[in-house]
Amino acid sequence: MDKVIGIDLGTTNSCVAIVENGVPTVIPNRGGYKTTPSMVAVTEAGKRLVGHIAKRQAITNAENTVYAAKRLIGRKWDSPQVKNAIATSSYRIVRGPHADVRIVLRDKEYSVSEVSGMVLQEMKIIAEDYLGESVSKAVITVPAYFNDNQRQATKDAGEIAGLDVIRIINEPTAAALSYGFGKNVERTIAVYDFGGGTFDISILEIGSSGVFKVIATAGDTFLGGEDVDARVIDWLVKGFKDEHNIDLRQDRMALQRLKDAAEKAKCELSSVRETEVNLPFIISSGRNEALHLQRSLDRATLDDLSSDLIERTVDICRQTLSDARLRKEDIAEVLLVGGMTRMPKIQLAVAEFFEREPCKGVHPDESVALGAAIQGSALVDDKQEMVLLDVTPHALGIMTQGGYFEELIPQNTTVPTQRAKIFTTGRDNQTAVKIVVMQGENERAQHNELLGEFILKGLKRASKGSVEIEVTFEINADGIVSVHAKDLETEKEQSIEVTASSGLTREEISHMMEGARDYMVERRSTEEFEAARQEAERVSAEIERLFPQVEQIVASSDFGRDAIEKARGIVAKTRTAIARRDAAAVKAELDGLARTHRMFKGVVAKTH
Amino acid sequence: MPYERPKQRVLPPALQGMDDHERPTQNPPFDPQAFARANAFSRPPIAGLPSARQDEDLSGRDRDEMRREEITLTDEVELERARMASMTGRETFRSPSTTGALSMANAAARSAPEVDLNQVSYSERELAGGFGAPEITQRIIEDPAAEMHERFALGDYSGALELAEIVLSEDEKNLDAAECSETCRSVLENMYAARVGPLIGVPVVVVPNAQVRWLSMDHRAGFVLSLIDGTSSLETILDLCGMSRLDALHILHDLVQQKIVVVK
Repeated sequence: MDKVIGIDLGTTNSCVAIVENGVPTVIPNRGGYKTTPSMVAVTEAGKRLVGHIAKRQAITNAENTVYAAKRLIGRKWDSPQVKNAIATSSYRIVRGPHADVRIVLRDKEYSVSEVSGMVLQEMKIIAEDYLGESVSKAVITVPAYFNDNQRQATKDAGEIAGLDVIRIINEPTAAALSYGFGKNVERTIAVYDFGGGTFDISILEIGSSGVFKVIATAGDTFLGGEDVDARVIDWLVKGFKDEHNIDLRQDRMALQRLKDAAEKAKCELSSVRETEVNLPFIISSGRNEALHLQRSLDRATLDDLSSDLIERTVDICRQTLSDARLRKEDIAEVLLVGGMTRMPKIQLAVAEFFEREPCKGVHPDESVALGAAIQGSALVDDKQEMVLLDVTPHALGIMTQGGYFEELIPQNTTVPTQRAKIFTTGRDNQTAVKIVVMQGENERAQHNELLGEFILKGLKRASKGSVEIEVTFEINADGIVSVHAKDLETEKEQSIEVTASSGLTREEISHMMEGARDYMVERRSTEEFEAARQEAERVSAEIERLFPQVEQIVASSDFGRDAIEKARGIVAKTRTAIARRDAAAVKAELDGLARTHRMFKGVVAKTH
Repeated sequence: MPYERPKQRVLPPALQGMDDHERPTQNPPFDPQAFARANAFSRPPIAGLPSARQDEDLSGRDRDEMRREEITLTDEVELERARMASMTGRETFRSPSTTGALSMANAAARSAPEVDLNQVSYSERELAGGFGAPEITQRIIEDPAAEMHERFALGDYSGALELAEIVLSEDEKNLDAAECSETCRSVLENMYAARVGPLIGVPVVVVPNAQVRWLSMDHRAGFVLSLIDGTSSLETILDLCGMSRLDALHILHDLVQQKIVVVK
């Protein structure tokens, strides 16, 4: 049975999990962390950095470090979210050849799927290192509000990373799965997801048939834990300025240290009441000495600093319930997701608003990835019952006269599906109609996503309302949407096939996949060399340590002197191979080194 | 003006009660050099104590001579300082008129009217006196390009690099200076890298956290120190620090030399 990993591709952090022996488990990265920053950077030397290492230089190399690429994935160049990202990002965002979005790092353009692909590739590597085998299948989570293009772009990112994305599922649904919901339970739950970069509130209706209906979702894609960090930074900067009249923001190195310290302090205050921010030699005083920053931050101060941000999330919750015409009493459970929900003040605010204690059983950073892993395991294991069914994330329909949106396939409909509706002409003697296919829930067409359009010509000249046109929407098992329009009297018909597009062509994706494979080969060969080098250096050092003793013991024998000369030769050859970074040569010397080491140890042991 | 004696220093709580031998070196809350100068040159001799030169009316130049004699040449930083100090006194390079001549300080001033020592490169600052008192040499250099070549030929790569940068600040298309700068950087980088150890090695801070603030270093070294987490290799730190490779290697080299960091 193939192993399937579940990946929570987050705005600020990503997480990978797998079901092992029936137990969903989060896979830690090499540093031991269970989440990996969704950041990609390119150094001056052209080296690619992904994850924690990219985050640690995010401010000192701001122009070449991409963060929150998820806000851009699958978006069109002219969308308001892209304009917002351009205004707030430190890296360059440019228009792509298909009116899509590209990111410039060290003068090279990357598509957003390519950048997200680098993060996914890192998650794949983390899983492979942990499992000791290659992994190719994955379930990736996306926010419930993602449209088909954004979902397709996420799938493309997975493909670029060398993953077969067998399913894309909604983040709140994955969180609910990890909390054990979905089996023989029918209830309405709220998922309060406050992550590093975004806030989402989703109301799900869980049906016993395995359908998780997202009945309402809202949020703020520019509200997250980083805003809280920014408040702590402001507080530290102000305190320092008051004391020394120096603005720490003017120095990138100081700001990088402040950012790391602010995040650390924020996290610590979830478990302790007071913490110390200690940054020695933070900046030069201008009088030939470096100044230190040392301040205590307590939980009450952090609560004060972030109170309006927390209030904003509560306002969004209130509005979402109101839009969904739900009362607080209709919500059976509230799940907390996202690292920020570890903050006691947030837990209190959620409990106060929903008038119930939220579920805290699953680690908020890990629940989404765990849910994805559960779904992935169910998809490939015949013995397990299917947990989730594929549903349409958004309603599909056409634009009608007056700029209204007429829904044909409602949101959360299980696929495959087919729905038809009859429309009439809107003007006298109208001989053609334009079918504008859209996706979304807003009754005004302009607020929904345009998927495609076509014209049905040759209609019979008649008064308005007398020509009937049947429009049929069909979604097949692969998620491909076909729209047919047929003049019921003349039988003339026209159709269009809509496939979600990430803005990349097949050729572009193939080219990016090649690049990702090359990167993988290079990285693996470097790792192979590193492993061989470390072993070779360790044994060489041991041999060198034993040289004086062995020399003393065998000084009188020609045979012994020969052995020592040979040993010196092996160590020297090893060092040369290491200097040349020749992995094959280093590996070739390992056997000889091990034999020599055994022999030396034996000689020393016999004489003692 | 009589020098006011500094008040009794109060030790931080962490250090109180510690044996003198255990206590880390702590920067006093006053300028010890100024204190020493005041005691050595300004204050009247104390009766009954040996006084050899305090009574003498020493000129500034003589004092420089004295200081030069006191320098212990233990590492390259000090060698570099010594070299700069020795050059400062050389009259043979001094031009009778400064008109049309180019001094290192003037050259820097032309492209950056206000020289903030905290903004200049590590090596530049090192040349100007290192972490200690910054001194910008006032020696007049008639032909920086020629001197650049001369220093390069003598194996003084730091000096040649400094001059190459001055030439490039005047004429950024000067291929000769660009090539010299590149070669010097490469040589110096290799030199520091060789001294620090293999770049795949992992540096570890060996000074306890509580004592770090009592060390003597600048904020750039403080930043590099903050990147050392015991798991990242030297190569990784060079990638992360956002400084030029040469500056970063120089700082790492100094941290290792000062035994603040060991590479494993």
